[in-house]
Amino acid sequence: MSERDIPIEEERPPEPTGEFPSAEANDSSLKWLSSRARSLTLSEGNLFLLLAIIIGMFSGMAVVCFRITIEWVRLGLLGSALAPPPMRVILAPAGAGLVVAFLVQKLFRAARGSGVNQTKAAVYVFDGYVPFRTVIGKFLTCSLAIGSGQSLGPEDPSLQMGAGIASALGRRLKLSRDKLRLLAPVGAAAGLAAAFNAPISAVLFVIEEVIGTWSASALGAIVLAAVSSAVVMRSFLGGEPMFRVPPYTLAHPAELLAYAVLGVVSGVLSLAFTKIIAYFRPKLRALPEWTYYFQPAAAGLLIGFIGLRFPQSMGTGYPYIDQALHSQYTWEILAVLGFAKILTTSLSFVSGTPGGMFAPVLFIGAMIGGAIGGLEHHFFPQVSASVAPFALVGMGTFFAGFLRVPITSVFMVVETSGSYSIVLPVMISNTIAYLISRKYQDVALFDLLAKQDGLELPSMEEQREQIVLRVEDAMRHPDLPPLQAGDTLARAMEIAETSTVEVLLVRFPTGRWAGIARKDLPAMASAHAPETQLREVLSTARLPVLHPDQRLDDALRFIQGHALLPVVSRAGSRKLEGVISLPDILTAYQKAS
Amino acid sequence: MTSDPESIVTRYVVRRVLLFSLILLALLFVITAALSRTYHAREEGLVTEWSQRGNADLAAGKPALAFVDFRNSLSYGPDNPGVQLHLAEALLADGRFTEARSYLVNLWDRTPGSGEVNLDLAHVAMQTGDMEEAIRYFRGAIFGSWEKDPGLQRRNVRLELCEFLLSHRRTSDAQTEIAGLAADTPSDDGILREQNGRLFLRVGEPAKALAEFEAALKTNPRQSQWLASAGHVAFEDGDFLKAEAYFSKADRENPSDEIHASLMLVRDVLGNDPYLAGLSDEERSRRTRGDFDQGIRRLHECTGIGRSDSAPGQASPDVQLLNKEAQDLEKRVNLFSLDKNPELRNEAMQIVSRIEDATAQACGLGTGLDQALTLIVKRGGGSNP
Repeated sequence: MSERDIPIEEERPPEPTGEFPSAEANDSSLKWLSSRARSLTLSEGNLFLLLAIIIGMFSGMAVVCFRITIEWVRLGLLGSALAPPPMRVILAPAGAGLVVAFLVQKLFRAARGSGVNQTKAAVYVFDGYVPFRTVIGKFLTCSLAIGSGQSLGPEDPSLQMGAGIASALGRRLKLSRDKLRLLAPVGAAAGLAAAFNAPISAVLFVIEEVIGTWSASALGAIVLAAVSSAVVMRSFLGGEPMFRVPPYTLAHPAELLAYAVLGVVSGVLSLAFTKIIAYFRPKLRALPEWTYYFQPAAAGLLIGFIGLRFPQSMGTGYPYIDQALHSQYTWEILAVLGFAKILTTSLSFVSGTPGGMFAPVLFIGAMIGGAIGGLEHHFFPQVSASVAPFALVGMGTFFAGFLRVPITSVFMVVETSGSYSIVLPVMISNTIAYLISRKYQDVALFDLLAKQDGLELPSMEEQREQIVLRVEDAMRHPDLPPLQAGDTLARAMEIAETSTVEVLLVRFPTGRWAGIARKDLPAMASAHAPETQLREVLSTARLPVLHPDQRLDDALRFIQGHALLPVVSRAGSRKLEGVISLPDILTAYQKAS
Repeated sequence: MTSDPESIVTRYVVRRVLLFSLILLALLFVITAALSRTYHAREEGLVTEWSQRGNADLAAGKPALAFVDFRNSLSYGPDNPGVQLHLAEALLADGRFTEARSYLVNLWDRTPGSGEVNLDLAHVAMQTGDMEEAIRYFRGAIFGSWEKDPGLQRRNVRLELCEFLLSHRRTSDAQTEIAGLAADTPSDDGILREQNGRLFLRVGEPAKALAEFEAALKTNPRQSQWLASAGHVAFEDGDFLKAEAYFSKADRENPSDEIHASLMLVRDVLGNDPYLAGLSDEERSRRTRGDFDQGIRRLHECTGIGRSDSAPGQASPDVQLLNKEAQDLEKRVNLFSLDKNPELRNEAMQIVSRIEDATAQACGLGTGLDQALTLIVKRGGGSNP
């Protein structure tokens, strides 16, 4: 599709015929509407933004249906009490596990896993293609699994469903491959925003984990999709923050040390959690394929037994996070619940049960955070005021350590709680957990899972930390001071004769730059008198300029067709900082590698 | 404008798909709306169902079970302030103050003017020993809003605050609260007035207490208990005439040994008090003489002095000295000398006072006329009868 506008064809609307339009009138109205629709003018850019809004609305409603379905399944299988009857606790996840395994193995193979890597694979491997069958599969299997008490969450599947919806729409619209690739993250952000009721975090997560760059072409659409999706979700399920937290104030500066301790503990535990999954997942995948039918059921059975003692460790666990945030558990119970959840989530995830990791990670973080807070409050009551902020910070900290998305983790805590005052402890704690996790686990979880699945997806973390070469790394001092626009052609020839430079740079008073190649000088001399000023000779010539802080990649694009480019100061383009040539750029790349 | 075949096909597809998407969106909207409405209705049903169970358990004195019920209820309606409050109350009843406080503070942030929330927070603060916070929340509850019967609720909170202040010996704060309570009490509510009177008595303000009892009696002048209370306050305040009037009415309305004894005591005081205003010198002398004789009798009865079977030296030296002083004075005390000499009346009553003190220590408090004499000399306090 081209950037050109679709033409307007004006048509008159039909004359009104009465209060209750007849079938003919309806038909003519439809024709008129259809003709109006035909007359819309849309560039591809605008179409893309409109599509982002439509994707957001679709994803928002899909996620609302998804969340409600999970709740209906839970009510049907486990009952309405937070602590369900024992028989249901044991039978529901195991029974549902069997059905889910059958569905995944026979009908929806792509529904396995959390959904984040699958979305990344769609972007980087399959040109933005996510089969719509996967959306249906994800919806059904995850509803059943999460609703039955498997320890998984609805956020990552929502992300994949959003990507699937976007991909399906893009295919229907026969969008270009580039646009299709961009649409998947747009849908992913929409799905996540609705699932989390947190559009900012969703946008940041998709940028941090899926596309890896702040691409201007995608950002507008991603934001629009996330916002429209969140608006739709809120209109159906309410706009309250996900977690209601008591107001937080820093009781004592030393409290920040307590948060640092929380960062250390969460970092270590998130590392352990990653190692457990990284170790057991390939082991179970290596078992004969017939066992895939029973792995989710076996995991469900074990989860049921754990759930008999700790029903909190089943399902998403959101109501219990709320309770932890309201200091309803002692620190001992919180610690036990955190470990129980690590166990149940590991079981669910490594068994191949479809479902997300976000909710369990938040649960574990809240419990560990609450336990640390409770412990510190027990020994140093003057330092920490309440357990609740620790539980809240713990969520973000574990999220940062486990999923390795530090920026998202900070905003997620602020956005899901509606509490901005918590941001300082969150930043301290998250950074520590993230650094510990990075230090002792080279590859982030999602990258690790992709590798286990035989996919070499780009690691956003690695991309973020790649050394970026800049123009200043390759530029050199000019061999000669530049000529001025008022200098004569004779002066230029004189300098050329006394030096070996191939290109003479000429500076104009306006900040414009031009170049004279040594080989062109004889032709110029024959065409103009020696006293002719260079501004007349070079009246139309213009050299692109670079700045020292620009990426070397940019320099490569500009240097095409030029032997030398001036590098000028951002404070004034008349000030020459250096010069750069193609061999200089290549030398810099060689040195860096 | 372009008209190549590929572009025309693309435009056609875009329009068709967009139109189809809009129709699909509308359809999905209807489905989602129906689904969410059904689910919300179910959620509301579950909130009510679990909340009712919680209330029943709380009423049955099972706060732990009620807490679980309310928690279940809250999982379907986390923003329901009523359930949150009940949950906090269940936690309070179960002695889980920290958790209760957390919920209540959250509620308070949203409705700082709620009387119920403030009261519950005051209870938590009472339990955790934070007195100032408790008082602050009690006052928040007094001036807060109440859904049902706000006047009565505020009064009850104030009463509770008074009890709390009294239990922590903050009498002046309690006096302020009781004064506020009295100011807000309707004049025609005798029961509440009488309640105020009792509170005033507890903070040592008998005059205000008597005023409250009298206000109560205006609504029901024949209420024997209120009459007795008014009599006691007047008695304690030294207004024996008023006390006699209230006691005699109370005795008429509802005779009892206690009221009768009080009445007799008041009458003994009134009949033997030489300090009473408006008495003639002759009457004062007569009463002083009578009191003096009773004092001597009491001394002899208590210590055995003067009895034929008593051994000398049985009484303590102080009592013997007192006896000697009394005997010396007895020689000078007669109606004529007392009538002429107010100082002598005073001297006689001083001896009576010392005798009553000494015999109270040796033989216990006197009864009947001796008890009246104790009151008379205490009230006379050094002035001339």
